[in-house]
Amino acid sequence: MAVNMAVSRIKREFKEVLKSDEIAQCSIKLELANDNFTELRGEIAGPPDTPYEKGTFLLEIHVPETYPFNPPKVKFITKIWHPNISSVTGAICLDILKDNWAAAMTLRTVLLSLQALLAAAEPDDPQDAVVASQFKDNYEMFCKTAKHWTNVYAKGPHKFPDFDAKVQRLRDMGVNDFDARAALSRHNWDINLATNDIF
Amino acid sequence: MESDDMDYSDDDDLDDAMDYYGNEDDIDNVDPKKTDPEFFMYECLTVDEVEKVLNESVEKLSNSLKITPSLAKVLLNEHRWNSNDIIDRYRDNASNLLVSSRIKSGNGKKVAHVTLLCPVCIQSHTFDKFQNLSCGHSFCKNCWSMHFEIQVSQGISTQIRCMAAGCDVLVPEDLVLSLISRPQVRDKYNQFSFQDYVKSHPELRFCPGTNCQVIIRSQDLSSKKASCKTCQTSFCFQCGNDYHAPTNCVTIKKWLTKCADDSETANYISANTKDCPKCNICIEKNGGCNHMQCMNCKHDFCWMCLHDWKSHGSEYYECSRYKENPNIANESAHAQNLIHLQAREALKKYLHYYERWENHSKSLQLEQQTLERLKNRINEKVMKGLNSTWIDWQYLFTAATLLAKCRYTLQYTYPFAYYASMDPTSSRKDLFEYQQAQLEAEIENLSWKIERAETTDRGEIENQMDICEKRRLTLLKDFFPTTTSDMNS
Repeated sequence: MAVNMAVSRIKREFKEVLKSDEIAQCSIKLELANDNFTELRGEIAGPPDTPYEKGTFLLEIHVPETYPFNPPKVKFITKIWHPNISSVTGAICLDILKDNWAAAMTLRTVLLSLQALLAAAEPDDPQDAVVASQFKDNYEMFCKTAKHWTNVYAKGPHKFPDFDAKVQRLRDMGVNDFDARAALSRHNWDINLATNDIF
Repeated sequence: MESDDMDYSDDDDLDDAMDYYGNEDDIDNVDPKKTDPEFFMYECLTVDEVEKVLNESVEKLSNSLKITPSLAKVLLNEHRWNSNDIIDRYRDNASNLLVSSRIKSGNGKKVAHVTLLCPVCIQSHTFDKFQNLSCGHSFCKNCWSMHFEIQVSQGISTQIRCMAAGCDVLVPEDLVLSLISRPQVRDKYNQFSFQDYVKSHPELRFCPGTNCQVIIRSQDLSSKKASCKTCQTSFCFQCGNDYHAPTNCVTIKKWLTKCADDSETANYISANTKDCPKCNICIEKNGGCNHMQCMNCKHDFCWMCLHDWKSHGSEYYECSRYKENPNIANESAHAQNLIHLQAREALKKYLHYYERWENHSKSLQLEQQTLERLKNRINEKVMKGLNSTWIDWQYLFTAATLLAKCRYTLQYTYPFAYYASMDPTSSRKDLFEYQQAQLEAEIENLSWKIERAETTDRGEIENQMDICEKRRLTLLKDFFPTTTSDMNS
C-alpha cells in the first residue's frame, strides 16, 4: 500500500515539476535515476547574488517506502562550500528534510527550499563546522572560496587563478585535487597550514 | 509552623508547664522536615496508579474548561500538568493559549477545503472520507491513519503533527486512537504517550532501575534521595543521577564529566599501591579503612596523606583539606613559568580531590567485602559456640550499613569541596572543611572498629555509630544543596 502510494505520488510530482514555472526558467530540474521511482536526480541553479550564482548543483534523491509520510533522503552530488552542507559528503542539514517534514510537501518544495538554503545559510545550525566558522569569522574569504568551488565543481564563471595555483602546488606534492582544495579551503588558503594538515 | 519560632521568653508560665508536663512524647514528635536534612516525602506508584492520577487531572481540567478530555491532555502535556496556570491563561486569553499549545492554528484563518482530492495520496474520495483538525487542513482518513502508524513506529505519540507543510497543530489523542486500526499500534501509542505524560509531569519520575516499572511521585521537587521500594535503586529526585548531597545537581554533573575526561591521567598518576612511610615496604590496600597499620613495622599511618595516624585520631583531621601552596605567586618571575606552575598546581589540586573521591568509592566496595568476611567469621564463632549467638552479632550489620551510608555522603563531599575551593575567600569553606574532616575522622574510626569487632564491643561501636551519623547530619544540615542558593554557584 505504502509503496504504491510512494510511486503514485512521485509520478504525480514528477509531472508537477515538469509543468512548473521554475522549469521554464531553468531553475530546478528533476529526472528519474531508476525505473521504480525510488531514485531520482535533482538539479538546482545557484541563486542570483550569491557565491553560487550561475552554478548548477546536482542532487541525489532517494524516496523511502514510507514516502510521503517520511521525507526523501537528499544529498548534494556536486561539491559545494556551504555552512549547512558537508563539503566532504554532501549531506544536508535542513529542517524540512528531518523533523519538520510534512506529508503534504513535495519534491518541488524540497528543491525550492534547497535553493533558498543556498541563498540564506544558517551558520548557527551548521552541518560543516569549518565552513560555518569561516562564514562567521571571515565572510569575505568564505565568499571567495564558495565562488571558487562553484567554478570548479558547478560550472560557475568566477575563476581564482591564485587559488588554482596553490591547489596545483599541493598536487605537485602528490595530493589529489579534492583533498588539496579542501585542505586549503579549511585553512583560509594558507598553503603552510594546509600542508601541515595533510602531512 | 509559627509556633515553632516562638521565643521561650514569650511563653507564659502555664504554657511552660504544659510543655513540660503535657508533651511527654515531644521527642518523638519533632518535625522531621526540620531535623533531618534528607527528609523526603514521596510515594512509589504503579503504572495504573499513575494513570489514575493523570486521569483525575484531565477530568478536572476538561470539566472546568468544558473541553474534551483529549484536548485537556494536550493542554496539560504542553504545560507541565499545571492546571491552575492553564485555567488562568484560558480565562485571560483562550485563543492565545490554544495557539501556543498547538491546538489551534496561529494563522487565524481556517483553510477551507474545496476539492475532494487528498493532497497526500493525490486520490479523489467522497466527502465523508475526509478528516481535518482545528487548523482546517483536510486529508483522507486513510492517509491520516498511515501517518499515525508511521509516527508511532518512530516513537512519536503526543507530538504527532498535522500533515500540512508548516502547520504545527498537534493531533489530539481521540483522533489518533479512532483512526489507528491495529491493536499493537494502539498499545504502542498509549505506551509512548504515557511516557511523555510522566516526563512532562514535574512530580513524577520513572525509577531508573533496569526494567523497573515503578514511578516515584513527590511534591518536593528538590535534590533529595528517592529509593524505589521495588528494586531498591536510589537516585536524586531532581536530576535522576546517583544521589549526591551535599554536592548539587549542576556541580555533580560538572564533576563527573571532568572525572570522565581526566581520569586516565589521574589513574596514571595515582598508582594502586603505596609505600609505608616508615619502612617503605610496598602496601596494597585490602580493606575500606584508611587507618593503616603496616604489617612489617607496625607503623600506624593514614592511607590518604601517609602521615602518622596519631595526628589524625582526636585532633583536627588535616588530611581531607587541600592546602594552597602560598608561594606559587612569588616562586617565579617569568610569566611562562608561572602559567606552567599554575597548571601543575591546578592538576595537583584536582588530583587531591579526585584521589579522595575515588578512594572512598573504593573503600565502599572494600567494606562490602569486609562485611562478607565478617559474616564468615561470625558464622564460625557461632558454630563453635564460643559464648555468642547470632543475635549478639546483629548489631554489626546495622553498623556496616550505617558506615556505608556515611562513607557515601563523605565521598560526595569531595566534588563539593573541589568547586568550593575555587573561591578560597568564602567563609563557609572553612566551616565545610572542618565538618568534612570531623566526619572523615569518625568514619575511619568506625571502620577500624568494625573490622576488629567482638561482641563485647557493641556499646563502643554503637556509640561510634551515633557520633558518625550526627556528624553526617550536621554537615548535611548546613550544606544540603538547594536549587536557589549554593556555595558553589
